[in-house]
Amino acid sequence: MASIRLHELTKRFGRVVAVNRLSLQIQEGELITLLGPSGCGKTTTLRIIGGFEHPDGGEVFFGDRAVTALPPERRDTGIVFQNYALFPHLTVNENVAFGLDVRGVPRAEIAARVAAILDKVQLGGLGGRYPHQLSGGQQQRTALARALVINPQVLLLDEPLANLDAKLREEMRFYIRHLQREFGITTVYVTHDQAEAMVLADRIVVLRDGVLQQLGAPDELYRRPRSAWVADFIGLSNFIRGTAAAQNGRVTVRTAVGTFETSGGAAGDGARDVLVVLRPEALHFGGGHPNRLAGVVRERAFLGNLLDYRIECAPDLTLRVQADPSRRYEPGERVELSFAAGDAWTVPAADPA
Amino acid sequence: MWRRHLLIAPVVLFLIVLLIVPYVNMVRMSFLVKPPGERYLNVFTLDNYARVLRDGFYWRILANTVWYAVLTTALTLLLGYPLAYAIARAPNRRRPLLLMLLIAPLLVGVVIRAYGWLILLGRVGLVNQLLRYAGRQPVELMYNVTGMTIGLVHVFMPFMALSIAGALQNISPDVERAARSLGASPWKTFWRVTWPLSLPGVFAGMLLVFVLAVSSYVIPILLGGNNVLVIPMLVVQLLLDAFNWPVGSALAMVFFGLTAVVLWGYVKLMNRALRWSLR
Amino acid sequence: MSEGRSPLFVAVVVVLYAFLLAPIVIIVLAAFNAGEYLRFPPDGLSIRWFVKFAQSGPFVRAFVFSLQLAAATTILATVLGGMAAFYVVRHAGRFRDTLRLLVVSPLQLPAILTGIALLLFFYGTGLGTRGMRALLLGHTLVCLPYVFLTISTVLVGFDRSLEEAARSLGAGPLTTFRRVTLPLIKGGVISGALFAFITSFDQFPISLLLVSVGNTTLPLQLFDYLRFSFDPTAAAVSTVSVLMSVAIVLIIHRLVGLESIAWGGPR
Repeated sequence: MASIRLHELTKRFGRVVAVNRLSLQIQEGELITLLGPSGCGKTTTLRIIGGFEHPDGGEVFFGDRAVTALPPERRDTGIVFQNYALFPHLTVNENVAFGLDVRGVPRAEIAARVAAILDKVQLGGLGGRYPHQLSGGQQQRTALARALVINPQVLLLDEPLANLDAKLREEMRFYIRHLQREFGITTVYVTHDQAEAMVLADRIVVLRDGVLQQLGAPDELYRRPRSAWVADFIGLSNFIRGTAAAQNGRVTVRTAVGTFETSGGAAGDGARDVLVVLRPEALHFGGGHPNRLAGVVRERAFLGNLLDYRIECAPDLTLRVQADPSRRYEPGERVELSFAAGDAWTVPAADPA
Repeated sequence: MWRRHLLIAPVVLFLIVLLIVPYVNMVRMSFLVKPPGERYLNVFTLDNYARVLRDGFYWRILANTVWYAVLTTALTLLLGYPLAYAIARAPNRRRPLLLMLLIAPLLVGVVIRAYGWLILLGRVGLVNQLLRYAGRQPVELMYNVTGMTIGLVHVFMPFMALSIAGALQNISPDVERAARSLGASPWKTFWRVTWPLSLPGVFAGMLLVFVLAVSSYVIPILLGGNNVLVIPMLVVQLLLDAFNWPVGSALAMVFFGLTAVVLWGYVKLMNRALRWSLR
Repeated sequence: MSEGRSPLFVAVVVVLYAFLLAPIVIIVLAAFNAGEYLRFPPDGLSIRWFVKFAQSGPFVRAFVFSLQLAAATTILATVLGGMAAFYVVRHAGRFRDTLRLLVVSPLQLPAILTGIALLLFFYGTGLGTRGMRALLLGHTLVCLPYVFLTISTVLVGFDRSLEEAARSLGAGPLTTFRRVTLPLIKGGVISGALFAFITSFDQFPISLLLVSVGNTTLPLQLFDYLRFSFDPTAAAVSTVSVLMSVAIVLIIHRLVGLESIAWGGPR
């Protein structure tokens, strides 16, 4: 196992800067996800760590060892691709044995280790099959076994669940998390699916246009986004524009629909023009919380465990509210909403990027 | 990673030495003096071209050669289109067999195929024997323009069919279904939708077949006999029998130069007609 | 589509296929026919023309020479064409189209013209056309595009992440090529080689111009023979050649599928 350090990593493709001076420290045994929309540079970053792309600037370290100049085969990484990249001409056994075989591991030991890892990923007995004879989930576990059997220092996963159906994807998230914990292997996981990142990651790296936007634990990113873009990208958000004012230690924001007390964020750091970030579940019907505002129900949708409302509070401000279905409000109905100061966060109104 | 360029270096060298240099050399040859009793003299002249261009005989043969090629192209289009349609619209199970039967003749040597036609259509060929058996007069099908045309069409039809089938394959059946749902008859659907969409394949096929037909040598000589003369035969005669390399080269240059100009114009026109297909 | 199934259309297609296959089928019939001519009614079955072929010095010599020439051409064209395909598909960058055009150009230029250019070149340089060398180089030139196109087709469809997976598992570039890339593109390589082989074996115009005294290829020998006689020995020879072609079509179909080369290739 090794920690990973990226230092000022830069990669250009023609005029496009895919990765822009990215620096990052990943702890031993940690699982971090690189999260961002397509084209944000997350896959390029992973490919640089794996040695498939050479950066135009910057360094990659595994532990204390600089690996920037090393070819992929000398980096000791295990990688799982989105399409799994199983060798179609080799059986499951031969696929998994490949890495050990090219390392010159004795035959008997190969057989034992392959059998052990296949058991671990619940593929015992399928070793003689060819990849095309496996289901999507089995192919995915074969790819994992092939990457893990060589005891790599680092595990790289490039959207490994993207080709699975929704239900299986859900299961595999927990399975991968479980496997990663058990092996205690430093893991970099690329995804564009924020729910997947939330479930899996110790920490999430949010990337946009090759630039690091925010790095933190999932709940931190959700509750304390650093910009409107991050707040919008991770989960659903309502934004209310306003002007910040600090009053005896509390951060209040004056908006067109009222003055609200918030728990901090950009407003607390001295910014004047801010957006109040309110998650749909932070807004409650009725006046039970100190921050209050009123509006008219415009639309209502049934989500199963929740009702999803769109409530017009001002001509240019419609808030999304998700509430439990025990009490229903009808479209056209006037309602009062309220929220706690602790559930209100602020971000700068001007987008830096 | 300069070493990867070693992959292409031998091929480029090979093509420069054996393709570009020989062609340039042939152009040079067409400008050299041909003295009696010698192959050529390293003296520049335009006489070879003057001789070729002033001679009405060459122009007549040239016109014939182009006419045969145009005829061949038209006939291969007429016969190749239904074949292509049958292949492109065949059920997936049957398509490989249809393709195989189209491609297999392509891989049989031209001489052999010409020979097959001689056995079938020659003076003592099977067709004439059948006619005689039925008490009819034999017909002259070989060693004339008819024989040559049959041979050329046979040899080049697979190229045309493959080219068109490729284009038809790219047309989504849904486009045709949409036309039908809008009230077009099958016949109208074909002429208003399928045919125009297949034109890229048709034009490419025509181009290919024309180039191959205009420069063909074996079929005219084997199936045209002494009754047909085309430019490639004339060029080979000049080079191999008369040993007149400069004039032979000049004739080849004039002929293929003119062909190239015609084709260039053709491609320009087609590109204009197919503007919708450019992405 | 309903047109595709109308009886008239089916009949037309059957007639067209009959036209395509007729001369080839008739040769096979003539070869197994006992008489000097294919007559109606036929004379009965015999293999005497095959025996005559086996006993005919010129035909056997030409056959063996063509096989040798085709084999040598195949090796040279496959190595050169394979290298070119790898480079053009993977590394060529902005020269890709130019290089593709260059490598494929022997296919676009009239073979007879290329043959003339080569003939003048070999004599002009004093190399001459003695032995197999001139023929080998000429044949390689016209066979190169087939190998190049076939191997390019499989390389374009090749999933590079397979090679990356092998590299990440510790295999160096050569091991990766030998154990992952080559086994997966083998079908394309063999198909390309077979194309080159049959193209060389059947080649006529280039051979006609570059052939030297004492060596003749099978198509040239047949050509000369047919100018003066119609003895079915030629049919027996042709039948053997046809069978080779058919076998090669079937093998290529098994390996890569005819559809992929008929119109799946890089344009």
